[in-house]
Formats: sequence, C-alpha cells, structure tokens
Amino acid sequence: MHNLNQNIKMRRKSNNSDLRSNLKRGFGYKRKREVTVAWVLCAPALTLLFIFLVVPFIIAFFLSFTDQRLIPNPNMPTQFIGFRNFLRLFMDEYFQRALLNNFIFAIVVVPVQTAFALLLAILVNQKLRFINLFRTIYFTPVVTTMVVVAIVWSFLYNPGEGFINQFIKTISGGLLGPYGWLDDTRLALTAIMVLSIWQGVGFQMVIYLAGLQGIPAELYEAAEVDSANAWQKFWYITLPQLKNTTIFVVISTTILAFKLFTQVWVMTRGGPQSATLTAIVLLYKEGFVQNRIGYSAAIAVLFFLIVFFISMVQRIYLRGERR
Amino acid sequence: MKNNVSTNRNPFGIRYMVSKRMSIGIRYLILVIIALFFLFPTVFMFVSSIKNNETQIISDMSNLRAFVPYGDIGFKNYFDVFTQLRFARFMFNSLFIVGTIVFAGLIVNSMIAYSLARLRFRGRNIIISLIIALIIVPVESIVIPLLLMVNKVGWIDSYHVQIIPFIADAFSIFLFYQFFIDIPTEIDEAAIVDGASSFRVYWNIIIPLSLPVFATVAILQFLFRWNDFLWPLMVTRGYEYRPLTVAIQQLFTQAPKMWGDIFAFASMITIPSLTVFLVFQKWFVRSIASSSIKG
Amino acid sequence: MKKVLLWLIVLVIGISMVISFLFTGCKAKTEVVEETATEDEVAEEPAEEEAAAEEPVTIKVWFHSGKGEERDVLEKQVEEFNTMQDEVIVEPIVLPEGSFNEQTAAASLAGDLPDLLDFDGPNLYNYTWAGHLIPLDEYVSSELKDDFLPSIIEQGTYGGKLYSLGTFDSGLAIWGNKAYLEKAGVRIPTSIEDTWTFEEFNEALVALQALDEVEYAIDFKMNYGVDEWDTYGFSPIIQGWGADLIDRSDYQSAEGVLNSPEAVEALTWFQSLFVDGYANAAPAGDDDFYGRKISGLSFVGHWMWTPHSEGLGDDLVLIPMPIFGKKAVTGMGSWCWGITSQSENPEAAWKFLEFLIEPDEILRMTNANGAVPARKSALAQSELYGEGGVLNIFAQQLEEGVAVPRPITPAYPTITTAFIEVIQNIVSGADVKSELDKAVKKIDQDIEDNQGYPIAE
Repeated sequence: MHNLNQNIKMRRKSNNSDLRSNLKRGFGYKRKREVTVAWVLCAPALTLLFIFLVVPFIIAFFLSFTDQRLIPNPNMPTQFIGFRNFLRLFMDEYFQRALLNNFIFAIVVVPVQTAFALLLAILVNQKLRFINLFRTIYFTPVVTTMVVVAIVWSFLYNPGEGFINQFIKTISGGLLGPYGWLDDTRLALTAIMVLSIWQGVGFQMVIYLAGLQGIPAELYEAAEVDSANAWQKFWYITLPQLKNTTIFVVISTTILAFKLFTQVWVMTRGGPQSATLTAIVLLYKEGFVQNRIGYSAAIAVLFFLIVFFISMVQRIYLRGERR
Repeated sequence: MKNNVSTNRNPFGIRYMVSKRMSIGIRYLILVIIALFFLFPTVFMFVSSIKNNETQIISDMSNLRAFVPYGDIGFKNYFDVFTQLRFARFMFNSLFIVGTIVFAGLIVNSMIAYSLARLRFRGRNIIISLIIALIIVPVESIVIPLLLMVNKVGWIDSYHVQIIPFIADAFSIFLFYQFFIDIPTEIDEAAIVDGASSFRVYWNIIIPLSLPVFATVAILQFLFRWNDFLWPLMVTRGYEYRPLTVAIQQLFTQAPKMWGDIFAFASMITIPSLTVFLVFQKWFVRSIASSSIKG
Repeated sequence: MKKVLLWLIVLVIGISMVISFLFTGCKAKTEVVEETATEDEVAEEPAEEEAAAEEPVTIKVWFHSGKGEERDVLEKQVEEFNTMQDEVIVEPIVLPEGSFNEQTAAASLAGDLPDLLDFDGPNLYNYTWAGHLIPLDEYVSSELKDDFLPSIIEQGTYGGKLYSLGTFDSGLAIWGNKAYLEKAGVRIPTSIEDTWTFEEFNEALVALQALDEVEYAIDFKMNYGVDEWDTYGFSPIIQGWGADLIDRSDYQSAEGVLNSPEAVEALTWFQSLFVDGYANAAPAGDDDFYGRKISGLSFVGHWMWTPHSEGLGDDLVLIPMPIFGKKAVTGMGSWCWGITSQSENPEAAWKFLEFLIEPDEILRMTNANGAVPARKSALAQSELYGEGGVLNIFAQQLEEGVAVPRPITPAYPTITTAFIEVIQNIVSGADVKSELDKAVKKIDQDIEDNQGYPIAE
C-alpha cells in the first residue's frame, strides 16, 4: 500500500509536467477525452461497489442508531435510539474481550505466519525433484473450505485420544497431556491460532516464492565474490529484496486476522469463557442469534473504524520505514 | 537461494559428493515432515469419507485409526450424497455462480484499476482511498441491509442475486492497480503519440501485458467466493439456486450426525479448487512473480 | 475502431445487466400473476366451494432437512397428500437444518415466509409475537386438543392462543448400564413414581464411580459443544431445585429466579460433579456410555435409543428423571408446525397439517425418527412408547407433567444463549453465582430493550 502513495505522488508530479507539455502542444482535446474514458472505465465497478457495498454499509450505519430486530415486529416498529448501542458497546466487557482477542491473535499470527511462510518459500524454492508436489501439498489447506478445516481440526484437537494429544504424548514419552485444547481457557485461542496459520500460510508462501524468484541472481553472485555466507546473503540480500512482498503479506494478514470468524464459530462459538471471542463472532451472535441487528450494526461500525485506523497506522509506519 | 550451495567447493571432491547427497537427503526429510503436517487433516477427511461404517468413523475419529483406511471401505457415503442431496445440482450452482463472478469481475475490476493507475482525472485519489477502506468492511455487517435492498427489487432466490453484488471487488481492484502502476509509462505514451486512444491502450497493450495478474486475481476470487456462505444462506430458499456451502448444512442435523456423508461432501467440495490449483500451479506462481506484489 | 471497442464493452456489461433484470422481472411478474390468482380463489372459495375444488390451491411448505428417514417420510407424506385429494397441492422445500433458524429469520425479514413451516421448539415465539403466525384455535377442536400431549399444547400456546402443533415430542431421562448398576448395588427405578431421590442419585454416582470399569459415573453429553442441548438438558436441573430460567408469571425478568440461591445451589452441585471427576467436561467422543462403556449412566434424550440399544443390548435400562433438589423435572419440545400470516390460503395449509397430525401419520413419522408421538391415541399404539414399551418412561414424563417447556417468550434466543454460556463456563471452572448474574443482566436487558415484549391485542 505504501507503493500506492508513493506512486500517486510520483504520478502527480509527472501529471503536472505532462499537463504542461500537453498544453504546450495543444493536446487539450485529447486530455478531455482521456477524462471521459477514465470515468467510463470506472463506472461499472464504482456503480456496483456503491450499490452493493457502500449503500448497505451506510444503511448499517443508520441501523446502528436503532433497535432493529432480525425478525421484525410490525406492531413494534424499529425505533431511533440515539447513541444507546454505542454507549452500551463501550461498556460491553464482551466487546472489549473480543477486541483484545483480535489483537492478541493478530500480534501472534501475523509475524509467525509471515516468518513461517518465508521459511516454506525458501524450502520450496530449491531446485529439487518433485518440488512442485511439495508446493501443492503445502497449498492444499488454502483450497480446503474453512468450515471443513475447522471440523477436521476439532477432531484432531479431541481432548482424549485426539491425534494431537497422542502425538504430544509420544514425543514427550508420556509426560505431557492430554490437553483439552478447545475446552481450556488458556489453550483455546492458541489452538485456533495454530489452525489458522496452518490453513493460511500456503498462500503467503506462494507470494514469497514469487518474490524469491524475482530477486536478480546477479545480487547473489556479487555476494559470493565477496565470500558472503548463506546467512549473510539471506540477511543482506533476500530480506531487503523481499520488503515489498513482506509489506503486502503483513497488511493482508492483519486484515484477515481481524476478520477471524468461521473457524471460531464452528469450533468454539467464542468460548470457553470468551477465550476465543472475536469482534465478528460477537457481531454474528448479537445479530443472527439474538436478533439484535441494531447492536450488531454498531459493532460493525466501530470495528470498521478500528481496523481502518490500524491499517492507516500500518501504512504510514511502513511507508516511513521505506525511506 | 537456489544456487548458493555449490560455488565455493570443489565439485569433484568425494567428501563433497557425500555431503551433497546427505544434504539433499536432509532437505527431502524436512520437506516430507512439513508435508505430513500439511497433509494429515486432509488425509483424515478423505479416509473418513470412504469408511462405510458410521459407528466405526465415530470410534476412530478420536485416535490414530482415523488415518488408516481399514474395515468396510467403499464409496457408500459418496453414493448417499449424490442420491439423497442433489449434489450435482449444488455443484453446478456453485461452479456457475463462482465462474460468472470471476469472469465478470476480471473485466470490471481491471477496467477501473487501469483507469486509476494510468489515466489522469480529478477525484482519482479519493476513489483509491475509498477502495482501500472498502477492503475492510466485513460481509457480516452488510448482509442484512443488502438483503432488505435486494428484497425490494424481488431478487431473492436467483442466480444473479448471488452474482451481481460480488462482481466488483475492492481487493481485486487493489491488486490490479498495484500491477498496472508498475508497467513503464513509456509504453502507452508511445502508443498515445501514435494516436491510440486510452481505451485502445488498455485493450491492446495493458491486458496482454498483464495476463499473469489476471490469473492471480481469478484464483483468489475463486477461493474467496467458493467459500461464501452467509449471503447465499440469506437469499436462497429452495434447491434450485442453492450453492454447496449452504447445502452441506443439510448434513448438520441434531446429534448423532452422519459424519461419513459430511466428509464425503467435504471432500468433493475441495476437489474443484484443488484441481484449479493443480492445473494452474506453475502459472500461478509465475503470475505472482511477475505481478507487483513482489515489489 | 477504438470507438467500436469501447462501445462493445459498455454493451456487454449493459446486456448482462439487462438480462439479469429481465430474469427478475419475469420472476416477479409470474409471482404477481400467481398472487392475484390465489387471491381470487380465496375470495370465491366461501361462495363457490366447487370452483375451488376444480382449481387446486398451491401452498408452499418448508421443513428442516433432518435425518434421511425423517425427510423421506415427509416427502412421502406430501406425495400421498397430493394424490389423495385434489384441492390442495403441497410444494415442499427442504431447508438445511444446520442453518434453518438463520434462513427462516432472513425470510421473515424479507417477507417471504411460506404458508406452512416448522420451527425448532422455542424459536417459535419470536414469530408468534411479531405476528408472523396465525392462531390455530379455530381449526383445532377441543377433543383434538385433548388428544395431544399436554407438553405439546403448552409449547404451542402463546398469549392464550394456540399457534403450533408438533407431530412428535422429545424425551429426556437417564439411561443406565444394568450390569454396572447391579454390580454397584444400585436400585433401578421402573416408573416415574419410584424414581431416585437426590440422595439415591448421589449414592448411585459414588457406587458407580467405585467400579473398575467406570471412569466417569455419568455422561452429560458435553461433547455436543456449545449447543441448545445445554439449555434443553440442564435447565430441568435448576428447575428441580425450584429455580427457573425466567420468572414465568409475566416473563419480565430473570432477576431473583435464574440467579436465585436455588439456582446457585443446583449449578454448584452440577459443577462439583465435573470437579470431583464423576463427569467429564470434555469427553473424547460420543460413545463413553454405549461404546467404550466407561460411564455407567448417560444423561441424554430419546434420540440415542438406537445407538444405545445397539451398544448395550439387554443391559440398557431407562431411568426416569431423578428428583434434583425438590422435584423431578425433565425437558421436552421438538420441531413443530405453524401457519404463517403471509399465507393466502391458511385453510389449505391447515388441511395439510391436519393430515400430518392424523395418528397414523404421526406414527409413520415417529417410527422412522424414533421420537415420541405427539398424540395420546398415537402413543397408545406405539411399540416403544406405549404401555409396557421400553421407552414408556418418556411418555409418562410427558403425560404426567414432569416435562416443562422451555420459556414461552420471544426473549428465548437471548435466554438460551445466556444459559448455554453459563453451563459452558461453569463446567470449565467459572464461578457459578457471577456467571448467573451476568446471564440475568443480559436477559433483563433484552426484555427491557423490547419494552417487555408486549403482546399485541
């Protein structure tokens, strides 16, 4: 995203000079045509986005000031209730807990998943036979529907003789376990994290893989002339060259981390004792289970503002870093 | 990383040959161990789906036998899913809906991205910021207002109600935009000097140059839309337009559930997207490599 | 050339838009035609009975997918109904059970509910309160009403009017392993009159726990996870002590009821079973009782009859709900039918429902899905549930008023969400009193937000 701003700036500069030269050459007509074409090309997407995303979100914004129910009652029409939903939301310990969980999840998953993805990308970037097979295997979880992944993992996390408990027992020589992965308040969020990383890391791996393949070979050759070791090459060439890839991975993983819902809903519904509650789980529970669409809309609005703020901070920070 | 092992050593030395063998062996070992980590839940799913005996599935599920195809093995569960659930119909619906979204989305999203990345007009920066903000909006927050809207125009229970709202996609636009902005401007400037219109540049120059990013966006959109559940749930009623993700809910009855059927269904949901990846795997990697995400 | 291309693109998108609108247009149009047609029929029907007979009325019926057998029976019933008479054509639509509630709620919001649909027990009241269902009183004679299990009538009545009828009910009791019980020297009750006292029940747990074969004396089916099961199964326990989920005199508050000392006592005892190792908060599977046989008792409903009888054979006994605290209370309720106010042809919908609740049809359904027949006349003919049947205990509990319906209020979704959370949390070690207080706060808030859910006159 930093790219974007910089590009905008660069473009602005070139725009000005273009414009000036165009004026000199008397290209006014062409310029006007370009604007028309630009808007024609934008029109379909903008119309669709406006109708199916912006308008509904504006409606949701209005709903957040009402007591709209999911199953409407014609005898008791929806009322405007001012800031009641928001005032309540600020006091709502579930919402606080949900946001806290979202933050913990993001803070752990984003770096771990990014690092793991890079490691995998380096592994599958080797010139070995069958490497395509391994790439495909590592990518399998990404193409598996999340609902299915969550169901399968709840069996693997089985508190008794589940595969994961058996594995840990074998590794530790019977010293550790069994653990109630999804039933223990201290373990449930970790269990969800592991599954989420497992499911999502393949995608980032492919992006890093592409990044690695885009690094010019001459850089490594030059480093070898200076007799750099593998670690130095990784630290001084690979990492800096992958900076833009990393920024993309970090920002997209962060947004996805905050949108965490399906696996939690299938496996724990936010429990035990709100240990895995997330903002979207709460939003869904309030709106679709307890019929409180108004309150659920308020969660959506606040959630949007918070995530928007975070991604703005991320953009500004990452852009600054690049300089 | 690919060719940094060999250069500093004598490629003809025996010790080197041995250590190279070993290092290759170790590399494969690591690859295989990680492969097991990524494979075991999927194996669990496929193995459970071919066990005909429901009681056996339940008792195996909590331990290692879940990974071993033994006992009464066969395709009874698959047969059940096909005969009892109109599976073919749901599969067609899903493929048709997702296919149309992906295809129409490629045109619509790349057009606006081209316009934003390469043409000059007022309001462009505002649109770009807006699109980035729209990536964040969670679908769970807009389904109710959207349901009220499509209901007003009588769109409920149809294909287009599942297709049209998802054609324009902020994330796809963003990906296209990132790619288009990195194509050297000299190319289209030259074309414009030659008298080509902006539209012609898009059609004849930009699109042929960006086929890889089209592939990327197509695969990503396919994966996202393939998993859509909440919206189709809200707007479909009968069998006719029901996609797979809603149909699988038919198996989530009160306990005891028919796990064999669930796993058979789940395995078959996975197959199309897995096939898409297997077929386009090489192209996919290459496409991202040449798209701008890599930087 | 450039112009042509530009217009081509615009055209393609335009055409696709137009096509999609045409689709909807056609659909909307045919619907309008249908609607006017049916309206005409309704208007004519009272005047000219024959005209209606010539021109059959089509009604839409939604039902949950359920198990294969349940769906098969219903589809057969529809087929039979459509051929045996020519006034009403039933158009059935099966909705996936896993998301049935969300889907019907969305339909009510969109205003396109069918003529007849089924609801999962207490989810009904939001629809009755909001006026989405019509009362059935004018269709249901008092003799017919008397033939239904009292629990079914109680479950279907809201604000003094009957809104729904189920064709089957559910039963909750304790299943026992006879071999273990005899080995432990525990008395096995045979009817609801001589059920275990609270002391006897606790002694039974201790005696069973002492057996070598037994790891957990009782299985509470905690493997069902975060599920309606928690409210269905465990609210009878607090009700046994004299507490309840809400004050049922006016359904305005849970304060002093759900967090009453009795409720705290009941759930503290319940929690202690898990803490002291009599029950497993996180069972490895479903089959602790009937497969691995590490539990001597299983606290679960009628739906486990088949796996239990297959697993234990002659060792399986059914024990009526013990006296928890002060009295024995058990759960009830299952899927039940209601006619919507959007229906143009409520009479036609009733005709189909009337067919479904015929004793023979009820038995056909319950023989397939194993549930308790909802009518006494059907119950008497049931092999399993009738006099002397192996599952007769369930029928006794339902007929003699041991069974209590879940709260009859539109606040139910909030109540059950709150109570499920209480159960889940205390089982994983949370403080009983503060959990109950939290639940009360949530429930009362919901009622207050909806102005006490006033019943429209």
